[in-house]
Amino acid sequence: MAALDIHGLRKAFGGNVIIPDVTLALEPGLITSLVGPNGAGKTTLFNLITGFLRPDAGSVHYKGSDLVGLSPQRVTRLGIARSFQDLRLFNEMTVFENVLVAQESSFRLWTRAAACRHTDAVLERVGLADKRDTRAMDLSYAERKFLNLARIMALDIDLFLLDEPASGLDGPSRTTFHTLLQSLKDEGHTVLLIEHNLDIVREVSDRIAFLNKGEVMAFDTPERIFANERLTDLYFGTAGRPAEAASC
Amino acid sequence: MIAYIANLGVLLGIAVILASSLNLMVGYAGIFSVAHAVFYGVGAYAAAKIALGVTDSFLLATAVAMFVSGAVSFLLAVPVLRVREEYFVVASIGFQVVASTIFTSWHAVTGGMGGLAGIPPARVLGWQLTSPVEYLILTAVCMVLVLAFIAVLVKSPFGRALKAFRDDEVAATALGKDPLALRVAATTISGALAAVAGSIYAFHVSFVNPESFTLDYSVMILAMVIIGGAGSLAGPIVGAVFITAFPALLNFIEMPSRYVGPVEQLIYGASIVLLMVFWPNGLASIWRLLRPRRPVQAAGGGTER
Repeated sequence: MAALDIHGLRKAFGGNVIIPDVTLALEPGLITSLVGPNGAGKTTLFNLITGFLRPDAGSVHYKGSDLVGLSPQRVTRLGIARSFQDLRLFNEMTVFENVLVAQESSFRLWTRAAACRHTDAVLERVGLADKRDTRAMDLSYAERKFLNLARIMALDIDLFLLDEPASGLDGPSRTTFHTLLQSLKDEGHTVLLIEHNLDIVREVSDRIAFLNKGEVMAFDTPERIFANERLTDLYFGTAGRPAEAASC
Repeated sequence: MIAYIANLGVLLGIAVILASSLNLMVGYAGIFSVAHAVFYGVGAYAAAKIALGVTDSFLLATAVAMFVSGAVSFLLAVPVLRVREEYFVVASIGFQVVASTIFTSWHAVTGGMGGLAGIPPARVLGWQLTSPVEYLILTAVCMVLVLAFIAVLVKSPFGRALKAFRDDEVAATALGKDPLALRVAATTISGALAAVAGSIYAFHVSFVNPESFTLDYSVMILAMVIIGGAGSLAGPIVGAVFITAFPALLNFIEMPSRYVGPVEQLIYGASIVLLMVFWPNGLASIWRLLRPRRPVQAAGGGTER
């Protein structure tokens, strides 16, 4: 059974059809990258899956239930979490609080010691343990990106939807990111990744879904996708896209 | 003189409870309400009813007042919090106007404009309160309890979730937090705490009527929160002291008494505007200016939304 089964998904804003028809099945335990030019509908697809947008047609099946029509918080509680490309950290809160708040039940008067231990373990894992008590707004760019990841890693999640988690990271940070992603996979999690940097995509992906103008043009292994000249042309701008859109 | 200071102290304690409880909504849940005097009033009327008809026990009357006021704010919150924040302000003004009308017109329960008079002195665990100083002690104890509860609340998982929503609603929702449930809970708790102030007021003055729970007073409580600084524990306390002590200070200035009211209003209005523009974190944030602060990092990312 697919980890996530998207069928005939469609979304239009007014007369502007962003996603005409997306059908995609994610294989469990694999890292799938969603690539495509800017405006291909990648983030819109994330919003449709996670309940931030309601599709006009189609279904998104996860563990036997249709996610369409569910609120974002319901989707998250079912076991799907997303990160945002503009991070959306809780800037006034410390690194520790950012991660702690993600995993604890809101209607409690006391902080559980187990939640604190779990939070510290997650921070250790993403390399932010020494920034524990720093406010999120005072972190460096790379640290902010890792905090963004840590926040959803603290949740009890099967399926991670990551929106450009590695964009703008330097070499060492990218290695850390790669290791993290691999460890998520080793634990049996499924990952859907939006990423513009094709080096990263090539390094980490088990599957690539190529999205263009809101349609999946190809869904295959990285080797075959990169061997397909038509797709690389589309991506690198001979189809009218500026080349810098491909790199970050 | 002691009685004067004690009475001022009671009013100050009431103001601190009201401002701090409203701060739960304004400063932590991000809900701007101009109806807090309603919950203060509901609490005062409920306590007065209990005192007049059932028992002079302060604890029992306050418990009932908190329950009734919490229930009223819950009933307000459930439908109204579904609208967007800006509209809630307007809705809360409407609610305040309706409530004021009910306080004035529902003679059978509220006594209309004449109000409810002859509320017996409060009794707390067998101790009959008579002097202003005794009421001051009762007020201080209640105020400390309310503040301690709020302090625990904002540091609890519940308070953290509220702060997460205040910082970024979309991200908090994406982490599985339910915005409506949290806001309704914050509003209900805020309403119940305001009733503590109402109960103290009813017993202390031994008389309640609609004039104490008007839109003007709701605005005043909101002003306390904003002038002092929303979203901190100290802010509403500073704001409540500032606004309550201010008329007392004006007494020392030579001025025909008919000017006192308008001058007060002018100064409140001007200070809110000036604070909003130049000092949005409020009076209590003065110490923060001394702390160096790094500029916010610009978030990177693609252009696609």
